[in-house]
Amino acid sequence: MENENYIIEMLNITKEFPGIVANDNITLRLRKGEIHALLGENGAGKSTLMSVLFGLYQPEKGEIRKNGKVVKINNPNDANDLGIGMVHQHFRLVEVFTVLENIILGVEPTKNGFLDMDEAREKVVDLSERYGLKVDPDAVIEDISVGMQQRVEILKMLYRDNEILIFDEPTAVLTPQEIAELLQIMRDLAKEGKSILFISHKLNEIMEVADRCTVLRKGKCMGTVEIKDTTKEELSRMMVGREVSLKVDKKESQPGEVVLSIRNMTVPSKIHRNNAVKDVSFDVRRGEIVCIAGIDGNGQTELVQALTGLEKMTSGSINLCGKDISKASIRERSVVGISHIPEDRQKYGLVLDYTLEENLVLQRYWQPQFQNKGFIKFDEVRKYALRLIDKFDIRSGQGPITVVRSMSGGNQQKAIIAREMDKDHELLVAVQPTRGLDVGAIEYIHRMLVEGRDSGKAVLLVSLELDEVLNVSDRILVMYEGEIVGELDPKETTDEELGLYMSGAKRDNVKEIYNAG
Amino acid sequence: MQDKNDMNSKTKEKKKINEIKGFSSFTSALMAIVIGLLFGFIVMLLANPNNAVAGFRYVLLGGLSRFGNVLYFATPILMTGLSVAFAFKMGLFNIGASGQYTMGMFFALYVAFMFNLPPSIHWIVAILAGMVGGMLWGFIPGIFKSLLNVNEVITSIMTNYIGMYLVDMLIRSNEVMYIPSMTRTNYIPQHVQIRSLGIAGSNVNFGVIFAILIAIVLYIILQKTTFGYELKATGYNKHAAEYAGMNGKRNIILTMVIAGALSGLGGAFAILAPSEIAGSSMTYEPINVIAVNGFNGIAVALLGNSHPIGTIFSALFISYIQRGGTLASLVGYKPEIIDLVISVIIYFSAFAAIMSSALGGFFTRRNKKEKDKSDTQPVEDIEHDIINKEAEK
Amino acid sequence: MNTIYYLVQNMLPVSIPLLLVALGGMFTERSGVINIGLEGTMLAGAFAGALFAYNIQGSGLPPYMVLLICMIVAAVAGAVFAQLLSFAAVTMKANQVIVGTAMNMMMPAMILLISKMFFNSDGITTNVRYFIREVPVLSNIPVIGDLFFKNTYLTVLIGFLILIISTLVLYKTKFGLRLRACGEHPHAADSVGINVSKMRYIGVTISGILGGIGGYFYSVGITDGNINGHNGVAGFGFLALAVMIFGQWQPIKIMFAALFFAFLRTLAYSIPLIPFLDNLNIPTDYYKMMPYVATIIVLALTSKNSRAPKAEGIPFDKAQR
Repeated sequence: MENENYIIEMLNITKEFPGIVANDNITLRLRKGEIHALLGENGAGKSTLMSVLFGLYQPEKGEIRKNGKVVKINNPNDANDLGIGMVHQHFRLVEVFTVLENIILGVEPTKNGFLDMDEAREKVVDLSERYGLKVDPDAVIEDISVGMQQRVEILKMLYRDNEILIFDEPTAVLTPQEIAELLQIMRDLAKEGKSILFISHKLNEIMEVADRCTVLRKGKCMGTVEIKDTTKEELSRMMVGREVSLKVDKKESQPGEVVLSIRNMTVPSKIHRNNAVKDVSFDVRRGEIVCIAGIDGNGQTELVQALTGLEKMTSGSINLCGKDISKASIRERSVVGISHIPEDRQKYGLVLDYTLEENLVLQRYWQPQFQNKGFIKFDEVRKYALRLIDKFDIRSGQGPITVVRSMSGGNQQKAIIAREMDKDHELLVAVQPTRGLDVGAIEYIHRMLVEGRDSGKAVLLVSLELDEVLNVSDRILVMYEGEIVGELDPKETTDEELGLYMSGAKRDNVKEIYNAG
Repeated sequence: MQDKNDMNSKTKEKKKINEIKGFSSFTSALMAIVIGLLFGFIVMLLANPNNAVAGFRYVLLGGLSRFGNVLYFATPILMTGLSVAFAFKMGLFNIGASGQYTMGMFFALYVAFMFNLPPSIHWIVAILAGMVGGMLWGFIPGIFKSLLNVNEVITSIMTNYIGMYLVDMLIRSNEVMYIPSMTRTNYIPQHVQIRSLGIAGSNVNFGVIFAILIAIVLYIILQKTTFGYELKATGYNKHAAEYAGMNGKRNIILTMVIAGALSGLGGAFAILAPSEIAGSSMTYEPINVIAVNGFNGIAVALLGNSHPIGTIFSALFISYIQRGGTLASLVGYKPEIIDLVISVIIYFSAFAAIMSSALGGFFTRRNKKEKDKSDTQPVEDIEHDIINKEAEK
Repeated sequence: MNTIYYLVQNMLPVSIPLLLVALGGMFTERSGVINIGLEGTMLAGAFAGALFAYNIQGSGLPPYMVLLICMIVAAVAGAVFAQLLSFAAVTMKANQVIVGTAMNMMMPAMILLISKMFFNSDGITTNVRYFIREVPVLSNIPVIGDLFFKNTYLTVLIGFLILIISTLVLYKTKFGLRLRACGEHPHAADSVGINVSKMRYIGVTISGILGGIGGYFYSVGITDGNINGHNGVAGFGFLALAVMIFGQWQPIKIMFAALFFAFLRTLAYSIPLIPFLDNLNIPTDYYKMMPYVATIIVLALTSKNSRAPKAEGIPFDKAQR
């Protein structure tokens, strides 16, 4: 019987949401002791499938077997009882709790009705030594690094004696060096007999660590392959359905005069007591894409917010097209010439309950073109919206009167890009503009950024994706702990070098250049 | 040409959508009302089964015979209702309508008694004074919210108490206004009273006309102006509003001041109104009780779906059943039963929308197991929502 | 010195309702639900307690027994009443502030209705005298005995007992850990198999119990065992919310905040007895406003570094993992 080899089988799983089939007849079999990758684009249905396995969703059709026996997983408790544990992409850690409290949450040992922290500590220390997962049990989560938070998540699974470990996009928040470390941990865990499901859309990592790989596309299963018999190109074809060139097609940049000039910017942090941005200086010129690279949480967000006026800086100056805008309001900065594609499009970029046309004039409703004595000219708004929808190919159910909440993520992002690029601007600030989008939308957005550059605008791109950093930008500034620690040429640098800067292992004195100049 | 046709069909679609939206909020309001009334009926049954049907008939139909009074008593709660609804649009919960209303009454009274003005403008000045009083009391939670980010709910609850104690004290210590032996204020001079509309059997006055006009003006402000656009955008998503360069701090203060002005006007309309005895007017009793009309405004706003025009109808409805409740005392029921019904209506209108969509789903038997998401959404979006929800944290 | 004894002795019965109700609010908010309806919950407890006391006051039970029995009645009433919030907020995912407001409006109307129908008045008047002149033995301890064990109510001792239990439950038990997790990061709690809805129901129920007891203790310690629908509990439910915020959602700090507010209020009502303040000739109404004004000022001062449970007020939706 072939069943004997499989610890978990998900057979013909179908999961529907109103209006969409998220998982369509998907079969996935996990062998004991293997690392099995689950590959697919954003929105391919990976998270849904794993939520089914973890008991968060109930499938309409199909069954799950463990060691050949059909099991019913109704909630995370059932999953846990079956030995299934999961490291979620966005950690499920209570930030104000200690490491220890987070690990025991849900399976707390007690003595006489009170928590028995000593017993818990012993077990955690023991586990962390055995698997080389270094943590401080008494540290509070919000004070520790992302890498350590991830180790806490892994310890959570081990503390519960889980044998099937699901890793959901675990490398998204790590430096290349930390990624290497994590992949090693995964190999060690597999060697100890744990079975691992590794969800990812990064081909390199899958090729490096996985034994087999199941590919999903648009909710359908594209098949399972042995990694040693396949290539990156083949996997990529299976995932997207066509050849993808991750290289962005662009000409050599022709930098012109300085558009944006930031000097000695310092921004306090909202999360911790230190400054989030420390004494940062740099320039962005017309006709170039400057990319700020770095791991999430190293001050990029605060830098952009201070630049666009959403945050106050404690010192430093910002100069745009020769105007000092250090103290200008958000609106004034927008008028002088900043366009801003925000990091979180649903939180900042859109009013989801407004219609598309209302969103398209979000930055301009106050201009004489659209209002007269405080009354909005709705026919002008409609005309303008129709033009942008046509020009930027924004697709929606009902055109300008579609409520934006009902639009797909890609089209929501297109709406923001249309609005920001059509507005008069000298500098385009784009923060993680491709986050969570599929390959088609990513290519589109990269093309728009390059187009903007070629039409003589200055572009400041903030990205966490190494591929994007290396392919799209003309110049890279690496941020680490609030400082710019390196200025690199994308044509001459490598993943590894970038990683060293991103993790703070290597740094140049970039400040001097600007302070002197 | 084709474009134009296209646009026409689209505006039609838009209308349809709005109708559906309006319809569902109407049905959910209706549902809350039915449950509230049913609850009232049950209480009546428990209290006195013999008269329950007669009493309930008074509640339901009693208002018909006193329609002038329905309008009369609808005026103040329409104003406090508009006040709450307007702040709701901005995402603020103006639970302080009560204090603003009380301040409005005091300012209007003060001008009515203590100022010596030509009769033709005295009443107008008194009304405007009431508005100023309300504005002042709305300004306090507004400024604390905008500058220090103090939750407006708690501050406005506190301003309710402060306003009540303050006004009680000021009135008790004023010999012109206050008659200690009757623990109420004097009748205000006739020329300061708002002119009656002359409907037989009631004192319904120009106040109600003003109130309805104000509701229409608010509707225009919300729907047609850049200020309304900013206000609603902030209410839906304050981060996006800030990102778009809207002045959130100013708008918060402005909204609370306007909301205060509306409640203050409500107080002025109430206190400057003529009452049933010829030549008399409404009076204020400084007995350390919070003005209930402020809280009834919350019910009015919720039932009206925070829509200025909807608020007109919900104010009429609440006033209507209040009149009926008063009449129910003819068969031995206490009018407090209506306050109870109103609170039940508020309670259910807090989730009536969810309930009615759940019921709809139940009847159509569509996706009976699917409780995760009610509106259709591509799965890609669901995953994005998830990502963004996480990121917000 | 006598003035101080007097102030402390009068302040404690005032502080206990605030303390208990604020602790109740803390438990709900720690579970992730905002309870604006505490004022109504207090009234429910106060009314149920007073109603029960009214019915058993002639039975010859000693006052402390009456107090204990009625306390339990009030707790049950508060817990039942609080289910209005838990059902709406947890099961129906309704707007919690609106629901709380409805609850606050419901109770006074209910009390007036019932009292008018059955007692022909605005409330319930009992004639149980709960006051304790002197606690045996303990009152002989110097200073402390005078401060805490003379001219006081049993409520004070029960209040501090509940404070100690609350602290232990919140920080030292499995339940407390899980409850706090639900208020901070419900999805984390859910992913380790904790039933968030159940925890929130429990959190709200605890606030009902403590709110009910607090309301009854208000009527015992402040209005001589009576309660009426017009004055209710004079905004104590709202003040308790302020106390909770001022106390940073932590039991011991809440106690200090409650004492602070109780001190202000006691001072306001004791002006004629304090010659120095009485001579200023400021109308007492100003002092009555003081706790409310102080609340606004305190909130303004603490707004910058106050840290509410992160998930409070947000309905838990499993789908939005």
